[in-house]
Amino acid sequence: MINKRSKANPEERREFLKTCGQMIAGGTILALFGVSFRKITTKETAYFWQINPQKCTFCGRCQTNCVLPMSAVKCIHALKVCGYCDLCGGYYRTNVKELNTAAENLMCPTGAIQRKFIEEPYFEYAINEALCNACGKCAKGCNAFGNGSLYLQIKQELCKGCNECQIAKACPSDAIRRVPVSEAYDLKS
Amino acid sequence: MKILVQTIQAINRFPKPDFESGYAYPEQDYTIPNEALWAYIDIAILVLLMSFVAWAVIKKQIRWPVILTSVFSIVYFGFFRDGCVCSIGAVQNMALTLTSSSYTIPLFVLLLFILPIIFTLFFGRVFCAGVCPFGALQDLVNIKNYKLSKAVTSVLSIFPWIYLGFAVLFAVTNSRFIICRFDPFVGIFRLGGEFSLLLFGIMLLIFSIFTGRPFCRFICPYGAILSLFSRISFLRVKITEKECINCQLCHNACPVDAIRPPYENKVKESRSEGVKRILRYMVFLPLMAIVGAAVMYMLSDKFSKVNKEVQLYDTVVQNEAQPQAVQSLELQAFYSRERTIEELAVQVAVIKKEFRIYSGIIGAFFSLVIALTLINLSVKRTRKLYEIDDANCVSCGKCFKYCPQNKISEPRFS
Repeated sequence: MINKRSKANPEERREFLKTCGQMIAGGTILALFGVSFRKITTKETAYFWQINPQKCTFCGRCQTNCVLPMSAVKCIHALKVCGYCDLCGGYYRTNVKELNTAAENLMCPTGAIQRKFIEEPYFEYAINEALCNACGKCAKGCNAFGNGSLYLQIKQELCKGCNECQIAKACPSDAIRRVPVSEAYDLKS
Repeated sequence: MKILVQTIQAINRFPKPDFESGYAYPEQDYTIPNEALWAYIDIAILVLLMSFVAWAVIKKQIRWPVILTSVFSIVYFGFFRDGCVCSIGAVQNMALTLTSSSYTIPLFVLLLFILPIIFTLFFGRVFCAGVCPFGALQDLVNIKNYKLSKAVTSVLSIFPWIYLGFAVLFAVTNSRFIICRFDPFVGIFRLGGEFSLLLFGIMLLIFSIFTGRPFCRFICPYGAILSLFSRISFLRVKITEKECINCQLCHNACPVDAIRPPYENKVKESRSEGVKRILRYMVFLPLMAIVGAAVMYMLSDKFSKVNKEVQLYDTVVQNEAQPQAVQSLELQAFYSRERTIEELAVQVAVIKKEFRIYSGIIGAFFSLVIALTLINLSVKRTRKLYEIDDANCVSCGKCFKYCPQNKISEPRFS
């Protein structure tokens, strides 16, 4: 008996170990499926990255921390919140001498905010998203002096949906988190 | 497409204007790309490509489908889908799913992680061959095969395990996804990104001109996982159906040094010596594991500094002791929110505890990897023929055309 065992072919032994390994591997895969299957919730699974407008402090880090050369964050204008003011805290810098459209008076460094006269005394403000670089200066001004209708948000058609959002990791107020597909935009109204 | 939005009440300093000129609010359109559909197209393509490669390298022993797959994968997964989320990064999502009670994983990320593993268990590393855009990119630029010495490769191939360990450590503590953060190739696919990472990616590509797949062999943590399953795969790549004639040509052609030359072990060890060796290992392995665990446990405080909350706590404590004139954005945000330093301290204590536990486990894992590598180097097995090292073989199929036995049946015209 003992002799027989000691003469066991090393190749047979390796084959046996391999079969054991295959069983363990198969078991591991099944176990992984089993454990994670409970955690798959297709409906509520957090999916899209969004800024929580109530937490955002307009620090300006969105401008530089996105993996894209031009940040996927853009300024969004909630027209139904806007007061349509002439003296707009998001459009003009503070302490401007004259209320005209000269560049030194305007808040936006890229000239992305365009305004249109509607009727006395109302002006409509619109963001040119191609120019907006998500610096958040206008949003900060609007939030400090106005209704807060200008705010920053991640545009879904631009966002690459990184596995880990680099802006989220740089955000000082933890305003960026994933939202379910059913609530893909966090908008003010 | 229907607009799906969540709305938030805003502050109202100025009343809503009453327009007299009949002004109507312009339509604002927030379209959502159909990401869910794309995700499932990705999965379908992943399965198709892996099956295609498996058919080519195992059934047919030809390489052109691998090249075709590589080009397609670079164009589709790389440049078109921008390389995110990938199977390599999904390791972290998976680790988080297994440990965190609140984290939910999207089904397609789970599939992205598990499908290549299942394919590896059945057919070897067909995912690495050309389906993974990173492997494909390095494979296509590879021209020359300068072999690195065994000492260098043995030491360097421990690194993927270390990387894997740290990736899991930082993922399960909700600190960072370091695999995604230090991804060298995603910048190339997105045609822009952090300069240092782009430079690293380009350097890796330049290296891979001269030696096969440096990223796959010495960095990729997912490749390390796949190598485990590849060792025991049911079907495996065979260079030729016919008999090996020990010509060495396949060995020279292999870009990842996965074909081992014949070796005659002249020093046969006796049975009692073998038993003694096993006993020594059984003492040595737990000892190494304990030492590793202890070292990592002691270092865990340093690792925890990667976590954002721990960083914030440190700056707040520093600021409390010595108030700074100019407060950083983090401090401003902290003080503007209703959050006390005590609450933060409790949270940080929990995070640090997690770090200690997981660092300990991962330290034990590290030393096991190192010990097993050492043991593997000391075990000498006789080989009569050239043999494929299944763990390292990436099924690229470069060896097939070099094997003279594969050519014999073809009619020759001169």
